[in-house]
Amino acid sequence: MTYFLQLVISGLVVGSIYALAALGFVLIYKSSRVINFAHGQFIAVGAFVVYALVAYLGVNVWLALLLSLVSTALLGFLVEKLFLKPLVGQPIISVIMVTIGLASLIDGLVHLTPLGGGNFSLPKFLPEGGIAFLGVSVSYPQVLAVFLTAVFLLAFGWFFQRSTLGAAMRAVADDQMAAMSLGVSVEHVFALAWAAAGITAAAAGFIVGTISGINLEGLVAIGLRVFPVVILGGLDSIPGAVIGGIIIGVLENLATGYLDPLVPGGGTSEVFPFLVLLLVLWFKPHGLFGTEEIERV
Amino acid sequence: MRNVWAETGNYKTDYRQDSSIFATRLEQLSLIGFLLALFLLPLFLSRTQMFVADLIVIYALAVLGLNIITGYAGLINIGQAAFMGVGAYTAALLAPGLPFWLTIPIGGLVAALAGAVVGIPSLRIKHLYLAIATLAFQVIFEWIVGHSPLLKQGGAIPMPRVVFLGYRVGYKNHYYFWYFVALVVLILLAFAFRNLLRTRFGRALVAVRDNDRAADAMGMHPGLTKIFAFALGAFYAGVAGGLYAYFSRAVVIEDYMLPVSIKFLAMAIVGGLGSLPGSFFGPAFLVLLDLNMEDFANWMKRLGLSYAGVDIASAMRPLTFGLVIVLFLVFEPRGLANWWRLVRNYFKNWPFRY
Repeated sequence: MTYFLQLVISGLVVGSIYALAALGFVLIYKSSRVINFAHGQFIAVGAFVVYALVAYLGVNVWLALLLSLVSTALLGFLVEKLFLKPLVGQPIISVIMVTIGLASLIDGLVHLTPLGGGNFSLPKFLPEGGIAFLGVSVSYPQVLAVFLTAVFLLAFGWFFQRSTLGAAMRAVADDQMAAMSLGVSVEHVFALAWAAAGITAAAAGFIVGTISGINLEGLVAIGLRVFPVVILGGLDSIPGAVIGGIIIGVLENLATGYLDPLVPGGGTSEVFPFLVLLLVLWFKPHGLFGTEEIERV
Repeated sequence: MRNVWAETGNYKTDYRQDSSIFATRLEQLSLIGFLLALFLLPLFLSRTQMFVADLIVIYALAVLGLNIITGYAGLINIGQAAFMGVGAYTAALLAPGLPFWLTIPIGGLVAALAGAVVGIPSLRIKHLYLAIATLAFQVIFEWIVGHSPLLKQGGAIPMPRVVFLGYRVGYKNHYYFWYFVALVVLILLAFAFRNLLRTRFGRALVAVRDNDRAADAMGMHPGLTKIFAFALGAFYAGVAGGLYAYFSRAVVIEDYMLPVSIKFLAMAIVGGLGSLPGSFFGPAFLVLLDLNMEDFANWMKRLGLSYAGVDIASAMRPLTFGLVIVLFLVFEPRGLANWWRLVRNYFKNWPFRY
């Protein structure tokens, strides 16, 4: 039983990272119907900015996190302005392919820096050990991960429910034409959605950095892992992203715990989420909370 | 009066003329001339140059398949390399017992089956979700290969040298032999597809891409059409995979991983999505660009521009592919095929202005 609980709790931690990463992804999809294949690269950029600031310039970790959030927000904003705005009016499939190109491009740019190949870890800034919870020990970085995710989710929840800008974003997601006719600048909202996605990506990257090491492939893999999460939760549902993230995180850890000994070579957690993805696509394609598009000829 | 040799405008008077493969005799003649030139090409190339030519022809086949899925049916496919891998691994498993002219088509058929399975969700959902299904297939494929002892966990599975009509293909003429095989296969499959576009299925493909609701109303089945497109595109990829396996003399997982899928997508976009000639321009352009990038990286290294911990060669590749995808989509979404079209249209009326 403790083994099971241990798996579930570490799954919750991983799941909260996925939830955070998926949140940004869903924001973009909801507002502009773009599937962002470069999300993993955004996460990587966020983590590497923190690392570079802390390791090379000796900046305080929290200040570095703040600067990283700002820089990825800027990155998201610039990407929208430079690459996606010229494509307004083009079929959505070319917009999605631009994000695939962008992912490759950012990959290459990171490889040009010394950060591209190799493993790095943030200097320890949390005390050793952890707290005991239901007989299971949880390390401080893991506590921090869950706490930070909760903070970000609450902040975004507040932003969407209470602020004018958040209401405008929801309006655009709901009906672009109607929002436009009521004076909401759709352009502005798109750019904002990308900036917000950048922020959540950097936060996810930072948390990965505190829990485990940073390396480009691992961070990009988290970007890929976002797909099962959002498909399970529903591509256009923010609560779906959170719940889907946690489910996938827990399932993944349970797979590692119970299936790995059965499979030669192990590593079932890498593929299990994608099997879930295919199953969801076959049997419940709009996910748990996604809006079903009903079309009539 | 319609001139069968030159066409300065659209003078077609009946439906049959409109659906013919060649608009004019001149087109027919120039194509035959071009194919002849392709067959004579090996006379002028060295062994290393043949390697590049082989690569272009085989990639062109995979990109043609991708173009069927992404260009003609409008479904993003980020798993083309995995379909190619299915063909390659099938060929590798069968190669010890069967001749290559059986293993390669069987590889194609197995890949087609995989394509149909991946395409199943299209019965219920629209194209955007399908991109994610292909990505999932790519990941699952890589994982399965990496974990099966039968496939050497992604390590190199050697391919035997082949014997064709009692003639043993050795080291010296390996690339020449596979050039001709790949070229013949490419020409046959390209013609088959060009012909298919004139039939019910081909026209349904384009109709479903342009507006699937309207296509549904006209009595086509959008879901089945998409699955068909997936199976067909994957078949082309599978055949390309089998050829690639024999050509590179070993099957290694690195040749069929996600970056390769992205490379194919880049090739299709550069060539021009939804264009048959584009499927050949794209691979040619990017394979040559790739080689130049390697030279460029070596040159930078010699100049001492590289620093510790940075491998410029491994950075340049994703960088250029990404840049090429983004720039072409923003500035020339119709790809190199559009330039080809412009040049052709210019010479149609030449020497007159219009």
